Amino acid sequence: MSRRLAVMARGQAEAVMPMVAAVLAEAGLTIGDLSAVAVTVGPGTFTGIRIGLAAAKGLALTAGIPVLGVLTTEALAHAVPPGQRHGCRVLAAVDSKRAEIWVQTFDSDLAPLGPPAAMTPAQAACCLDGRVVVAGDAAAAVLALRPDWVRADAPLDAGVVAGLAAAGNTHPPQPLYLRDADVTLPGVK
Amino acid sequence: MIVLGIETSCDETATAIVTSDRRILADVILSQTDDHRPFGGVVPEIAARAHLQHIERLTTQAMDEAGLRFDQLDAVAATCGPGLIGGVMVGATFGKAVAFAANKPFLAINHLEGHALAARLSDDVAFPYLLLLASGGHCQLLAVEGVGHYKRLGTTIDDAAGEGFDKVAKMAGLPYPGGPAVEAAARTGDPARFALPRPMKGRPDCDFSFSGLKNAVRLVVETLPKPLSGCDVADLCASFQAAVADMVADRTKRAIRAFPAAKTLVAAGGVAANQTLRATLTQVAAENGLAFAAPPGRLCTDNAAMIAWAGVERFRLGLTDGLDFAPRPRWPLAGGN
Repeated sequence: MSRRLAVMARGQAEAVMPMVAAVLAEAGLTIGDLSAVAVTVGPGTFTGIRIGLAAAKGLALTAGIPVLGVLTTEALAHAVPPGQRHGCRVLAAVDSKRAEIWVQTFDSDLAPLGPPAAMTPAQAACCLDGRVVVAGDAAAAVLALRPDWVRADAPLDAGVVAGLAAAGNTHPPQPLYLRDADVTLPGVK
Repeated sequence: MIVLGIETSCDETATAIVTSDRRILADVILSQTDDHRPFGGVVPEIAARAHLQHIERLTTQAMDEAGLRFDQLDAVAATCGPGLIGGVMVGATFGKAVAFAANKPFLAINHLEGHALAARLSDDVAFPYLLLLASGGHCQLLAVEGVGHYKRLGTTIDDAAGEGFDKVAKMAGLPYPGGPAVEAAARTGDPARFALPRPMKGRPDCDFSFSGLKNAVRLVVETLPKPLSGCDVADLCASFQAAVADMVADRTKRAIRAFPAAKTLVAAGGVAANQTLRATLTQVAAENGLAFAAPPGRLCTDNAAMIAWAGVERFRLGLTDGLDFAPRPRWPLAGGN
């Protein structure tokens, strides 16, 4: 009914609630009209995931409705236009701000071939055979090694996130960090 | 008027509900101290993860304890800085979402203003007053003329007061957090055994310094046999605490002269929970014809009741904030004089 997208490296904490308000207003709805709130749980930027989940949990708790978690990588895969992924496998690649990237692969019907995992772009580049469409903000790192693979045309889309949740493709509404907090015990080298 | 407060700026996840007639209907605090103790200090990423993990449950607990529904709130207040920004973003965003879904105003609270106004919740202190705000991240003397009207008379030129306690605790082999550990050890110690310096004492300004004192403690520790005996640790902590109290007393007397309009001396922040410091400040106030007030310990260390109360104070003045308020890792309460 309504969707918004803003690409930002930072600033989500100030942007997200006005965006929620704008989307509801555009759809002619109030929070009380919603049956659930869907949110991406990762993999992705830790701070970004937390901002999304904090907003979703605050909305849902107050409205008395559930929060539904959706994998960022599944949302990326499902955002690829059907025409583009016809007969192709899909590889969703998310930047982790480290050498490794977060990857989940899907068959041509978008059935996951495994859970999201951390791997190097080189590992990602040889983890699938045949024709592959690559989606996500780490796609360039993979495509640089596999010029024969194709970049997905569509960005991540909150409409896809809501659609996946509505279709029952949900996960616990907890962050999927895939990496422990970076910290070293005193005296441990 | 009933306000929900949310605090996530350091290593306590806290929610509280406070009324404009100074009743605390709920005051929930989850300390993450055990999560951070192995690292000897607060790890920002661990703190941010824990805040998100617990915020929803603790908010439900506060609402249940108060026996309220969200539509019975008048506003939602959340700490929006200063502090560890990953945690601040969790509490601020969650608070905005609750405010929006409940269709209530949102109040973006400066954590320091929470401390600064806490004595008005606990003791109904009238403006104007002189505030010593001493915590893990701060040590400053402020002239408090009204809500939103703060003038900084002096501040630390290096470490915060609580950092001093943490570092001395580490050197003495005591656990994190250092404030309660040093205070407990000092109870049986001789405050006169080690002649530690009183940095800044006698200077005409109202500033603080803890770095030289910390180094002096280190030099003393180097001369003592290892491992330190219980007696040495107690004497070291008592001597350090006495030096801090002496310096703070001197700086506070300067500030009293710099802000003669003050009727009350108020102490706030985690370090203000220290009983030796409170006793010293009580005496300083009495000698200078001022009343003394300090919130009970639970309202001195980080909590959400003070955030909800700052929300009450600001909401009464119509000082509400937009849902686009940007959390601030640094957010001074006042400029210098």
